Amino acid sequence: MSTFAHIVSVEARTRLSYRGAFWFNAAFGFMSDFGVVFFVWTAMFAESGHAEIGGRTLSATINYYLLVALLGRMVRGDRFEGQISADIYEGGLNRYLVFPYSYFRFKYAQRLGQMAPEFLKSVVFGVLAISFVSFESAAFTVGSVIMGLGAVFVANLVFFLIMTIVHQVAFWADNVWSLDVAVWFVASLLGGWMLPLSVFSEPVRAWLEVLPFRFLYDFPVRVLMGEIGAVEWARGIVVVAVWCIALALVSRWVWRRGQRRYTGVGI
Amino acid sequence: MIEVEALKKSFFVHKKEPGLVGSLRSLFVRKRTEKVAVRDVSFRVDEGEIVGIVGANGAGKTTLVKMLAGIIHPSAGSAKVLGYVPWERDDELRRQIALIMGQKAQLWWDLPAADCFLLLKEIYKIPDAQYKKTLDYLVDVLRVGDELNVQIRRLSLGERMKMELIATLLHSPRVVFLDEPTIGLDLTAQRAIREFILQYRAEHRPAMLVTSHYMEDIRRLCPRILIMREGEVVYDGSLQRVIDKYADSKLLRAHVRPHAKPVVMPPTLAALGDVVECSEESVCLRVPRDAVATASARLLDHFDVVDFAIEEVGIETIIERIFLAKGDVA
Repeated sequence: MSTFAHIVSVEARTRLSYRGAFWFNAAFGFMSDFGVVFFVWTAMFAESGHAEIGGRTLSATINYYLLVALLGRMVRGDRFEGQISADIYEGGLNRYLVFPYSYFRFKYAQRLGQMAPEFLKSVVFGVLAISFVSFESAAFTVGSVIMGLGAVFVANLVFFLIMTIVHQVAFWADNVWSLDVAVWFVASLLGGWMLPLSVFSEPVRAWLEVLPFRFLYDFPVRVLMGEIGAVEWARGIVVVAVWCIALALVSRWVWRRGQRRYTGVGI
Repeated sequence: MIEVEALKKSFFVHKKEPGLVGSLRSLFVRKRTEKVAVRDVSFRVDEGEIVGIVGANGAGKTTLVKMLAGIIHPSAGSAKVLGYVPWERDDELRRQIALIMGQKAQLWWDLPAADCFLLLKEIYKIPDAQYKKTLDYLVDVLRVGDELNVQIRRLSLGERMKMELIATLLHSPRVVFLDEPTIGLDLTAQRAIREFILQYRAEHRPAMLVTSHYMEDIRRLCPRILIMREGEVVYDGSLQRVIDKYADSKLLRAHVRPHAKPVVMPPTLAALGDVVECSEESVCLRVPRDAVATASARLLDHFDVVDFAIEEVGIETIIERIFLAKGDVA
């Protein structure tokens, strides 16, 4: 087994060993993620009197949010648990700097390991959702599921890269928590987690097409629902790959500069 | 193995005035001052050598170790560890060095030690046979076989430190940095760790740099010491030479029969030396080395002594004197 796979495996086993946290977090996480939007959108449709908002019926909107809740967990996990900023503040980075192994490769492997319980939760709640909710507006196919999972994998990487850059601000700032929350809010708003992107105006949507955020939630969900075909999916993957390269380069640049300021406090 | 030339490290620290006004002012303007942690430090360490770094808090010991382990960049100067510049972090170098930080747990708390070691085996690419042989040896010497499958967070501090030592030495490093390896441990655990380090050094001959506030660590482990004061190395040489130079007196300790009258009228104790302790049952005097024989004879003459000892001044006292002294020690 490669070092990377070993780290993924160790992290996954560690996460899955917390049985209480697994079920508690799963139940309350999905209830809050999905329950709130269900009641809000039901009320909005009722109040507005419209049959469609942003090109979606109430049923389609509920389907969209159910999938956002399910796939979003696999994209962002339990927020960002990479703890890069904590490593920098508390000197935990020291041990990784002594290892003959890339710090970010280690952190990414850990993150994939952390996704194991999230993936399981999504599968469990996905089966429950299919049993109780009608997905009349979604056209699931084997192709859409495979492309959707590929899009989720890439979305997870984009999220990791964005948060990696944000957390490295800890090399300069005493606290990055507020920045972390701000970026998470922007990513959620412009990525389709808070609102379906179809509710934005045409010029805004044109901008969102070239930004990385829509690939976090909107893109994987729409791929899975069968709204995005193979050609558009491939084009999206190319765009997001370019973003990944750009973000990785920025992260590398920040890392090199930050290293010169790192004091290794905590020991 | 370790060559250091005019190494310097300074940090910029922000200062905030106390109180609400100070807090409000700091939202707009912050004072920044430069703090020199290490200044113009030069030395070398050869294979099989254990060198102790001694100094008060803030003397720059840990900063120096962090630079040599490649964790932080220096502000000026140069250093080579096994021929590599440590802060360039070449993987080839990192496979041959190890760092243990007594004040900072390095193993993964949620994992049993056995899983941590397997992870380190993968990271350091240790061949199966070598891993098994080294692990068996370390576990046997440190006697932690029964704790291998216990989560790190559930181990006692002493057991955890032993696991940290195993993790540090699994890949048989050629250079080992030990930063406060016995801090917080009880006396038994301290002694076990020290004995293990000496045994490991005898069998593997790595270069070792040890920092510790426990003088017993330094006395037992390090024939050579660097004394640091305010970022500078003020002494680099044998521990014995420091003792010889600064231990210019000895302690005479006499236990006398309780309630016994002096055999003859005693001289004033202060005339024999500095009185460290004086009670009905014991007397302790610090006397110059060249007056030890005379003072001993007079003490034995004048008191009904049941037990008598001549002791060296503690190394803690000697080092403390050096910390407080000005100028170079050598």
